[in-house]
Amino acid sequence: MRFDWRTWPARVLRQWRVSLQFRTVSTTVLLSAFAVLVTGTFILVSISNNLFDSRSRQVQDEARSAHNLAQEILDASVTGDPDEAVEIDSLPGTVRDKVLPSTSTAGGTSFALLRSPGQSTAQVMQSTRSTNFPDVLSEALRKAVRADAEHVHYQSVTLPSGAPALVVGSEVTVPSAGDYELYLVYDLAQAQQTLSFVQQTLVLGGFALVVLIGAITYTIVRLVVGPIRLAAETSEKLAAGQLEERIPERGDDVIATLARSFNGMADSLQEQIMKLAELSQVQQRFVSDVSHELRTPLTTIRLAGDVLYDQRDGFEPSTARAAELLHAQVQRFEVLLADLLEVSRYDAGAVQLELEPTNLVRLVEDAIDAIRPLADERGSELLLVAPGGYFEAEVDARRIRRILRNLLGNAVEHGEGKPIVVMVDSNESAIALTVRDHGIGMRPDEVAQVFERFWRADPSRQRTIGGTGLGLAISLEDATLHQGMLEVWSEFGTGTCFRLTLPRERGEPILSSPLELPPDETAIEEVVAGA
Amino acid sequence: MAATILVVDDDPALSEMIGIVLTSEGFEPVFCADGAIAVQAFAEHKPDLVLLDLMLPGKDGIEVCSEIREESGVPIIMLTAKSDTTDVVRGLESGADDYMVKPFNPKELVARIRTRLRPVASQSTDVLQIGDLRVDVAGHEVRRGTTKINLTPLEFELLLALAMKPQQVFTREMLLEQVWGYHYKADTRLVNVHVQRLRAKVEEDPDNPRIVTTVRGVGYRAGSS
Repeated sequence: MRFDWRTWPARVLRQWRVSLQFRTVSTTVLLSAFAVLVTGTFILVSISNNLFDSRSRQVQDEARSAHNLAQEILDASVTGDPDEAVEIDSLPGTVRDKVLPSTSTAGGTSFALLRSPGQSTAQVMQSTRSTNFPDVLSEALRKAVRADAEHVHYQSVTLPSGAPALVVGSEVTVPSAGDYELYLVYDLAQAQQTLSFVQQTLVLGGFALVVLIGAITYTIVRLVVGPIRLAAETSEKLAAGQLEERIPERGDDVIATLARSFNGMADSLQEQIMKLAELSQVQQRFVSDVSHELRTPLTTIRLAGDVLYDQRDGFEPSTARAAELLHAQVQRFEVLLADLLEVSRYDAGAVQLELEPTNLVRLVEDAIDAIRPLADERGSELLLVAPGGYFEAEVDARRIRRILRNLLGNAVEHGEGKPIVVMVDSNESAIALTVRDHGIGMRPDEVAQVFERFWRADPSRQRTIGGTGLGLAISLEDATLHQGMLEVWSEFGTGTCFRLTLPRERGEPILSSPLELPPDETAIEEVVAGA
Repeated sequence: MAATILVVDDDPALSEMIGIVLTSEGFEPVFCADGAIAVQAFAEHKPDLVLLDLMLPGKDGIEVCSEIREESGVPIIMLTAKSDTTDVVRGLESGADDYMVKPFNPKELVARIRTRLRPVASQSTDVLQIGDLRVDVAGHEVRRGTTKINLTPLEFELLLALAMKPQQVFTREMLLEQVWGYHYKADTRLVNVHVQRLRAKVEEDPDNPRIVTTVRGVGYRAGSS
């Protein structure tokens, strides 16, 4: 896999958010790295201080004894006799040869014996430096040495090679030749080497420690998070309907307790769901059995009633009327039974859509044609407004037809003989239709109940269609099954408008309904006026 | 002679009532109340049409239907108490020509029976050719080369309807009206299932039909376009 470096921050942030493991491990690593850094630095600083201190003490001691040695040599060698002037020139060499072996620096000590400036003495001894004497003497040190002859002075310097060093200076007096400054340069490269070795060890050790801590945390977090993650995955599977999923139970620790109680929960969940599924199956079976058991005798009654009805002309008037009533009521009973079965099918969740591309306008035209005789009887004019556009949609034509039948039937029923306007329109996401009557309308509390089962607008109102009281409830279920909406607007004294909105394609969301609710009154008035 | 109709239903009252309706319309009903002996009764009475209830004691109506279909193309109308998709489709797939959902009314019943019993309208006595099939209209025979293909009357009628106008695309509704006699919106699954059954018999490769082809979104036509 290749990563684009620009996406890295986002990736890390996302990991941080979603992965408990990542969060825990990185927090631990960061904190322990910080702790290691602090301790390491402290250790390093104190080691280097110690090292320097002890070395410098040693150097000072050595320097002091070197000073004493040099002074002794000088004192002993010079007697003050001017004849011995020749000898004075060999003195620095003697001093150096004696002094240098007394020092302990492995890296070698540089030596210088310099005449303090500004003296005039009987004799002059030449200043000497060992050949490798570095140019590190500062004026400040020389001044300090000259100013205080009692003590040994030192200064840390850096050699041209980059190695640290100590310059120790003291004043010696050469009889008859005056004051000289004795400088010894102690190379501290070895101490520095020791120090950088310690430093390296500390860095490596610290790094290894952090990595180790990271690995340990990772392992431990895995041990803890693993089961939790497994529990999360398992519960997702459970939620997705794989009721057999369980977490393996191991040991007696808290994780095992989690697994056990989780599995217990899953068991009871599964049991409940199975029970419900069983109940639903029993319900479905019952409905289907009732359907069969009721329908067979009903068919017989229907056939008998129709035979009688067809021959009613030959009957006594009262018998003929009885045959008519029987005929009509058997039909009503049939519709009621069919509606009840449909509702119980919905309740059992045993409903499937049979989708096919359908022209909604054609369906509406058919439905209007079917209801027209009744509308004519009631004096209601049926007006269809369908501006051009794409009206094809994936729907279950049988169910949409049923919704239309219900809406139009209601409109005619409650339309009080006034015009009924049906509008069909579509947009890119949805198709919609509205059925607007100009009847008595409903009060707000009635509107709220309109989709309830067996609810009737006004029990005292006369009914002609003989609806079952289930029509709108079923229509709402049908619309919902299509992932559509069935809504109502009504105003007492003005009329009622139902709006059905269906997605143009199954599974696509409805962005907006192509028709307004409350309805576009001016458009409706225009249609009514134009008719 | 009056057409004999075998009524296979376990409900005596309904059977009797159907009998009354059929008799008054001039048919001759015979009855059978047990699925197990229905096929035997069929062989005995040689009816012109069978009214078959789907839920039967002894043997399932669907089984009875396929057994009758094995030996005869006699029209079968299923009577079903369920309008649930699966039952209807299973019934049609087992060979029923048409179905009626209880409760039905007598006029509907008689109309369905008459449609199924009417002789195939054979205005032309010609022999029609669809693809490599020869359809002998008068002889009610379909042959591929010298092999005779056995079709039920309904399947023959369906094929004939398509073959008579090879240029025309038939919608399912048109076929429902012409072949099944429905003058209103009916179940288009009738057409779908029977086209499948017809294809299984007349097509060399039913998955890649050449005789009865589908016109997507519209319907069917004879031969390839």
